[in-house]
Amino acid sequence: MLTTDRVAGGALVLLALFTLWESRRLPLGSLRQPGPAGAPVVLALVLLGLGAVLVLTGRRATALAGVGFPEWRHAVAILAVCAFAALALERLGYRATVTLALACLLGVVERKGIVFTAVFSLALALASFLLFDTLLRVPLPRGPLGL
Amino acid sequence: MAETLGNLAVGFGVALSPPVLFYAFVGCVVGTLVGVLPGVGPLAGISLLLPATFGLDATRAIVMLAGIYYGAMYGGSTTSILMRIPGEAASVMTCIDGYAMARKGRAGAALAIAAVGSYVAGTVSVVALMLLAPPLAAFALRFGPPEYFALLTLGLLVLAYMSSGSMLKALAMAALGLLLGMIGIDQMTGYFRFAYGIVELGDGIGVVPVAVGLFGLAEILATAGQPTPPEIVKPRLRELLPSRQEWRESAWPIGRGTVLGFLIGIVPGSAHIIASFVSYAVERKLAKRPEEFGRGAVAGVAGPESANNSATSGAFVPMLALGVPSGPIPAVMLAALMVHGVSPGPLLVTQQPELFWGFIASMYVGNVVLLILNLPLVGVFVNLLRVPYPILYPSILVFCILGVYAVNSSVVDIWIMLVMGALGYVLRKLDFETAPIVLGVVLAPMLEMALRQSLAMSDGRYAIFVARPISGVLLAGAGALVLLGLRPLVTRTLDWRARLALAAKGEEHP
Amino acid sequence: MTLARVCALVPCLLLAAAAAAQEPYPTRPIALVVPFPPGGVADLTARPVAAALEKVLKAPVGVVNKQGAAGAVGMQSVATSRPDGYTLLLALSSISIIPEADKLFGRPPAFTVDQFAPIALISADPTILVVPADKPWKTAKEFIEDAQKRPGQIAFSSSGVYGTLHMAMELLSHAAGIKLRHVPYAGAGPALTAILGGHVDALASGPAVVLPHIKSGKLRPLGGWGDKRVAALPDVPTFAELGYRGAEFYIWAGVFAPTGTPEPVLAKLRDAARAAVEEPAFKAATDKLETPIVFKQGEEFRRFFEADARRLGEGVRRVGKVETQ
Repeated sequence: MLTTDRVAGGALVLLALFTLWESRRLPLGSLRQPGPAGAPVVLALVLLGLGAVLVLTGRRATALAGVGFPEWRHAVAILAVCAFAALALERLGYRATVTLALACLLGVVERKGIVFTAVFSLALALASFLLFDTLLRVPLPRGPLGL
Repeated sequence: MAETLGNLAVGFGVALSPPVLFYAFVGCVVGTLVGVLPGVGPLAGISLLLPATFGLDATRAIVMLAGIYYGAMYGGSTTSILMRIPGEAASVMTCIDGYAMARKGRAGAALAIAAVGSYVAGTVSVVALMLLAPPLAAFALRFGPPEYFALLTLGLLVLAYMSSGSMLKALAMAALGLLLGMIGIDQMTGYFRFAYGIVELGDGIGVVPVAVGLFGLAEILATAGQPTPPEIVKPRLRELLPSRQEWRESAWPIGRGTVLGFLIGIVPGSAHIIASFVSYAVERKLAKRPEEFGRGAVAGVAGPESANNSATSGAFVPMLALGVPSGPIPAVMLAALMVHGVSPGPLLVTQQPELFWGFIASMYVGNVVLLILNLPLVGVFVNLLRVPYPILYPSILVFCILGVYAVNSSVVDIWIMLVMGALGYVLRKLDFETAPIVLGVVLAPMLEMALRQSLAMSDGRYAIFVARPISGVLLAGAGALVLLGLRPLVTRTLDWRARLALAAKGEEHP
Repeated sequence: MTLARVCALVPCLLLAAAAAAQEPYPTRPIALVVPFPPGGVADLTARPVAAALEKVLKAPVGVVNKQGAAGAVGMQSVATSRPDGYTLLLALSSISIIPEADKLFGRPPAFTVDQFAPIALISADPTILVVPADKPWKTAKEFIEDAQKRPGQIAFSSSGVYGTLHMAMELLSHAAGIKLRHVPYAGAGPALTAILGGHVDALASGPAVVLPHIKSGKLRPLGGWGDKRVAALPDVPTFAELGYRGAEFYIWAGVFAPTGTPEPVLAKLRDAARAAVEEPAFKAATDKLETPIVFKQGEEFRRFFEADARRLGEGVRRVGKVETQ
């Protein structure tokens, strides 16, 4: 039966195997002088062992079917907005990016009114920029036209 | 002693003069503002605001930086307690019990305890700094790579006491964290490890995006979409202050956290985040009801917050006594001194007594200012919880992005936060705790570096770890801890974790 | 507003930006990228430079710290930014080391030196060799003779493998025919802490950082890497004087623009840099840092830069990959 522990354990085993495979390109070194691959290989082996134990003993953990993901739509939407912010921040500048990201979350995801969304998004973006960039001189990215 | 008091009087004369006091106050306010940003703690706070002090004269600049430094530290606990978003990496442990307290309507109490704990730790460690700096600094310098390795090994063992769930799962998460900590340039040989051509990964994945992602973003992901927003008991005004019992339960943790944090802090290069992890583990080990940890134990807020604060002050010991940049925060402070034409070094105290004692005195003053500033703010902050979650979380998200970006001006850090947020969300669903991952990410590079530096020093001979007295003692302590941990296997008594699991089963199948 | 509409707005904004480019330089704020954290040598040099440039160019010049990977992150970001004179770089000597190290490991370089057009050299600080005062060596000669007798036994700390402090020591080792044991640390600060704690026997360092410890008697200076003696330490000979040729090494700071920046803009920046270093405020600021201004520009800077890059390139190749059996 698939349980939470088994899924997680399996994923850890895969990650450990992947790390071992990727470490092949780095010199392992010796015990007296461990190379760049030394520590990753040891840790991957430890992780491999722990993951395997999790898979073997995970029979009694919660069944995977019992874990609900009712909020996955929201989660994906929020992650998408984060990704947009990461892509846009240094291209569009802080103020434009934050206004758009907030508008998207408030207007599209949370379905707030259009006036509230626009005013709140713009106000938060401009106010936080004013506080941190202008007053406290924490440099935030500016977009085209110095926006 | 009399001389010290006389000097301190001179220092207070400087620190309490109206213009200097004004800059201390400005520093505290500004530091709090920046410190409230997720991920921005004292280090990022003073690095970000350092340029703003270049226009001032040396004493004012240093006093203002001290204010910023304390402000950022106090500000760090606020978002951790209210929203489970680590205000700085070292507040991760505060997130766990502080947020659990907030959900029970004790947000005000948690904030007040954190502020008072920080105040006590800050003040006590300044006293220690003033009286004990020279002998302690000489001792601290004896910590080379072998000693550091032994200390970190001891820190790693603490893991076993950190999690409330199964030990196996906690260890697996720690191993995952340690492995994630391997990403980046190998500092001993210059090889790029697991960076796949992304230059920004050269320094590894930073602890700030990891902490904010695993705790803050994961919390938002798990909460935002729930059909009914999380029930947070809105506190009434008279419930804002901690109850007498809460005070009693946090008094000792604050004391222990202060001493522990200070001692860990004076070791060159040690991260104050380790102090808060160790303090949490110690408090849980000593607690009468360890099962309360993770569900809103006040000691789980008081201990780590105090430890975190005094560790950062402890880092000033080698800087003030010897002029050595023994950690990132002292390094920035020394740079600030150099900009103002003060050559930092062992002669600083005798050459610039007003500056040195003014700095010490303004650390006292800064702590008082922040306590006065923060206690009334508790009421204001708690009211943030009244904002409906659908409006609150997009705003928090923006501040997470802003904070994570500001620390390094790096978009890659936002991506790391995103990945860690998704990972944290899934792990939460699978019932895994994520705090050990953060500890692993912090410890891995230091532990590996210390091991390999030691071996480079000794030409590959492991005897260096036992031949040097401090590291020998520390490793012996670590060995003793392991033996103690194995005892239940031999004597077959159930420890509290197993008892807890049995009790939980009993509830499920009556 | 739908997501689709929001996305449609984006290209419009970008087009508007492109149209605004045709005006005399500079019309908007200039970013001076420092690839190291605030408070480091580069940052402390960059801030007065930015302030002075701002006065001369009459446009805001902001310092942006883009740290990471020993400076490679910030350098790469400038190398690939638009060559319009609005993104400048303040780099240290490591700018010529990083591409060599990338080449050594056979990885695609983060950037190459020809992606930068040199504008001006601001400072060049020779490193000096210090040892703990309780060690027996009183002169550079004694130190080197002892190192020849015990190859690989005398340990030195550095700011990191292939870092500036490592390369300085490597150039000396090669010139003097000695072999030292290298213990890299994570930065110049920890490297200094290590020698003060007595965990290593020697360190190459910029003079400003170690002067207070020399004055207090904790460290002893043995020699300098410059072509002239350091003003604050007139009794400390240079290695060139002692007959170790080819060991010359400076931690220098210079301003660069991405290659392809129009010549008129470069010329304007070079003139601005010359005027900037003559600003009294700039002189006062650098005096406090005890870093002497060494100004070079144009052809002179290019020659210095190329000679330095050649020496360091050879140094990196000689060190090779750190051996692991």
